[in-house]
Amino acid sequence: MKPPAQSESRQAKASLDRGVQIEANGLCRRFGAFAALTNLDLSIEPGEVFGLLGANGAGKTTFIRLATGSLLPSEGTIRVNGLSPGRHPQAVQAQLGYVPETPRLYTELRVEGFLRFVAGLRGLSRSSAEEAVESALVRFRLEAVAKRPIGHLSKGYRQRVSLAQGFLHDPGLLIVDEPTSGLDPEQRREVRELLAGLAGQRTILLCTHDLAEARELSARCAVLHQGVRVALGPTSEVLGGEDPLSLFRGQPTELGSTSKGSPK
Amino acid sequence: MRAFRALLAKESAVLFASPVAYLVLTTVAILTSIVFFEHLRLYNHQLFLYASSNMGGFESGAIPDYINLRDTVFYPVMEQLGLLLLLPIPLVTMRVFARERDTGTEEMLLTSAIAPTSIVVAKYAITFSFVALMMVVSFIYPASAVVRGGLGLQHLFAVFLGLVLMGWGIASIGLACSALTRSQVIAAATTIAVAYLLYDFGWSYSFVSPDTAIWLDKASLHYHFARFSEGIVTLEDIAYFACLAWMTAAVVRTSLALRRISP
Repeated sequence: MKPPAQSESRQAKASLDRGVQIEANGLCRRFGAFAALTNLDLSIEPGEVFGLLGANGAGKTTFIRLATGSLLPSEGTIRVNGLSPGRHPQAVQAQLGYVPETPRLYTELRVEGFLRFVAGLRGLSRSSAEEAVESALVRFRLEAVAKRPIGHLSKGYRQRVSLAQGFLHDPGLLIVDEPTSGLDPEQRREVRELLAGLAGQRTILLCTHDLAEARELSARCAVLHQGVRVALGPTSEVLGGEDPLSLFRGQPTELGSTSKGSPK
Repeated sequence: MRAFRALLAKESAVLFASPVAYLVLTTVAILTSIVFFEHLRLYNHQLFLYASSNMGGFESGAIPDYINLRDTVFYPVMEQLGLLLLLPIPLVTMRVFARERDTGTEEMLLTSAIAPTSIVVAKYAITFSFVALMMVVSFIYPASAVVRGGLGLQHLFAVFLGLVLMGWGIASIGLACSALTRSQVIAAATTIAVAYLLYDFGWSYSFVSPDTAIWLDKASLHYHFARFSEGIVTLEDIAYFACLAWMTAAVVRTSLALRRISP
């Protein structure tokens, strides 16, 4: 892992002083002729639960992949705690936990074994790893299936395993993409309570197209449509109009079109 | 280092959780024994013919020198084992990167704060270890023939080293092919095609000049493997297989880096 340059470290400190955890400026990402994200400006503060909303194909996952360093921007910048994920992917990734929409799991491994692997991957010591795995099994109610291969689990349990791996190393930034997808109502409630409980302690980037979930969990949100930000502001205001779904169709409300997205 | 150890443990768990690993080991053991016993049968048959013919049998000294365990059984078996590796090894390597990419677990690995080079090294290490295990399984019968046939331990070691390096060479090609696609079938088919073409460039000699043919011969897998089977260990041959592994690892590492630009 390359150490961040001195100027970047200073920027990181400055960013923290400003209270910025994720900052995107003029962010663009193109795949050939297709623009997945266009000129996105966004700023997410530490401890904030921020909702990133939009229909399928709006550019939410592209933004996540740019934030995790899985993709490089075509233009513009994105910084996580002042560091560029493109230039220092490992330094950025060490601070984040990522729960993708579709669980990315090794179906051959047992739940416990998989979580131990993730703990090892995150560099936790043997004792810390055991502690973290035990705690995750309890927190996500996975004790009953701890010894079962992941491939034998239901969709709901797989989603819980995916959530557990994202939380395992207690990251400062959690990126959760449709976290309640595939869960039953009771499990949805539990996951929402869990995320709500972390508000103020961890930065959470919540990608969803579930408006109720966004209203319940996020203080601020942005709505993307075909890679363009059509709204940004306090969730209650952005989704408070008569037809918030119109934002998903790319028809900005007055707030959405004029909001400068001032942090809470 | 913890992360690297975790990767090694995961790779090995995933490999041995799949029936493919056991199927490949069993198939290699069966095929090796068939090839070995077939050559042993031919050897015995030749001995029988000479012993029972009117040439005078064993005592007359009429049995030619070239009919011995080493030349009639060991060398041909080794030669065929080299070719035989072209089939099972792609079955092991095809899933290593292609499956990770197809199921999306590759993204999980690449966002877990571990350097992509460590991922590549861990996958190579476990695959190479498995290939070495495969060689141990396939070497039992030929080794017994060598012990009976009076071939020295040094020669035996050279041949085993040659087989392992040959296996690693094919595995390296397989790993590179696996990293360039998300389809396991395409990865396996490409590996077999590339390894077969690289095994021996004899097919190209009618299209190229004699000088080029000499260079192509030196670039082939068989050229470097053949010297090991004769009991000759040279730095040149070891360097050839090491370069092959290094170059393919560089291809894999580059392909992982390029996914950030074009996934």
